[in-house]
Amino acid sequence: MNHQKLIYIHPVPVRIWHWINAASFIVLIITGIQIRYAETLEFMTLSSAISIHNYVGFAAIANYFIWFAYYLGTGKIKIYIPDLRNVVAMAIKQAQYYGYGFFVGKPNPHVMTPENKFNALQQQAYLVIMMVLLPAQMISGLFLWKVKGYEEYVMLLGGIKIIDTIHVLIFFFFTSFIFIHCYLATLGHTPLAHFKAMFTGYEEHHD
Amino acid sequence: MKKVTRCMLHLGCSLMLASWLYPTPLRATENSECFECHSDETLTKESTDNILQTAITESMYVDEEKFEHSIHNINGITCVDCHTDIEELNWDEDIPHKAELQPVSCTECHEESGTEFQNSVHMKIRKKGVTMSCYACHDYHYVKPMEGVQVAERANTKCLKCHNPNLSHDWLPAGDSHFAFVECVVCHAPDVPKYINLRFYDLVTNKFYDGDQILKALGLTSENFMATIDKNGNKIIDSDELEDLLFMLKQQNIHTLLRAELVADIHPIAHQINRGAAQNDCEKCHSGDSPYFNEVSILLPHNDGTVERYTIDRSVLESYHVSHFYLLGGTKIKMLDKIGILILGGGILGAFGHLFLRIVTVRLRNRRKEQ
Repeated sequence: MNHQKLIYIHPVPVRIWHWINAASFIVLIITGIQIRYAETLEFMTLSSAISIHNYVGFAAIANYFIWFAYYLGTGKIKIYIPDLRNVVAMAIKQAQYYGYGFFVGKPNPHVMTPENKFNALQQQAYLVIMMVLLPAQMISGLFLWKVKGYEEYVMLLGGIKIIDTIHVLIFFFFTSFIFIHCYLATLGHTPLAHFKAMFTGYEEHHD
Repeated sequence: MKKVTRCMLHLGCSLMLASWLYPTPLRATENSECFECHSDETLTKESTDNILQTAITESMYVDEEKFEHSIHNINGITCVDCHTDIEELNWDEDIPHKAELQPVSCTECHEESGTEFQNSVHMKIRKKGVTMSCYACHDYHYVKPMEGVQVAERANTKCLKCHNPNLSHDWLPAGDSHFAFVECVVCHAPDVPKYINLRFYDLVTNKFYDGDQILKALGLTSENFMATIDKNGNKIIDSDELEDLLFMLKQQNIHTLLRAELVADIHPIAHQINRGAAQNDCEKCHSGDSPYFNEVSILLPHNDGTVERYTIDRSVLESYHVSHFYLLGGTKIKMLDKIGILILGGGILGAFGHLFLRIVTVRLRNRRKEQ
């Protein structure tokens, strides 16, 4: 018998942060592509693309601090910290599920709760994204925005091309991540279940 | 009366003939004679301010050392070549030449620059009562050889005397970076020939190397520099040859990278600056095939203001050796795009591959569910 239960997983601040972040990522990716390939693409003028990229970049930075303040303030940030005692075993189990178990209809080894929202793979990926890649992207973006103003730091890190390399590689990573993220979101009990939950806050739990 | 007239006519003709056949030998005035008085820092003249009409004291002092390093002196132009109304000096007088000299006419020599200036906004402002002379930008006696001069000095000594770029470039993203690395006239006189200057920059002391330091470290002279570095003899320093050059410098404990600037050629057309005619089409510069980077040179500047210029392949701008100079779209590292395609391709293929397997295995899951 299949018992369906609704669990409140995504509080309002997290949902607001998530969707603002998603929207700003899309705009940043589109304007970023225009900026990098200005000689071949013409969605908009280069100066408009830079201008929009800068404004939305600042919105994304402000949004990051909403996320940070919420998770730090509520102590929920620990959902991002893997339990070192079983992280490897759990990650292997989760990878086996995605690579085999899912196809043959085995249940997901991770059961989502408000205190344990992410599976081991998600936990590690989001920890790196939120604590390393996103801050690196924000800082490198700031340096690219005011190269002269941050000249000392830029030179210390090896010059503007090094900063640009960091920014561009993370840009490619996030673009790729969006595809994978959206695809993985369809792996719920129905393809749209996780999308729906990110609007309502409630994930459906099936026994 | 007729006889007197005829006599005068004969006399006049004879004098003209005599002066033509036996001209008075005119002695060229040496610069050293001028400096006998004009090297005196206290030498002044009383004058009237042409705007306030008040009495002012004008200095007549000329710094001989600075003058010696001026482009005019380097090219053998003497004081009287410009001050053409000084024919000879009369040392019996307090002032050995006319007290009031004619203003120097630069266009006597710089004719083309004068023509271009005639069509510029700086000429048009005369209608508004503002007269801009050549000296307003170029100074009087100390015009430096500008070829080896960096953007900051080029701008500071000319445009920035009157203009504050921050007040008129709101539309320009990363204005500070443009002002730091691009000379004003590159955009404001769009037809001026332009090139990229690269200089060796010391990562330890954060200073530029001068040409003599580089040549000394390499044990080369400006005559055999290119012959040694340009191994394939195509008159261009290629990427591999640059790698070798930097390696040779590293062996001499010189840890350097190249700093780049986009500057205008010293060309008359640089004077043709007009309102609304500036280049503000970003893509002209910010594109991989921009003609703005066709001419790239390594500069070895010497202490006397002269420079040696060696052509280098433009692809060097896309390398990490010029790591502080990056133009969006213009000088990007192309390898990053290839890495990017791999990252993107990996993500998309991963998602679609999983989706494909998911579709193929639908029956398997359904069977399991039924069980």
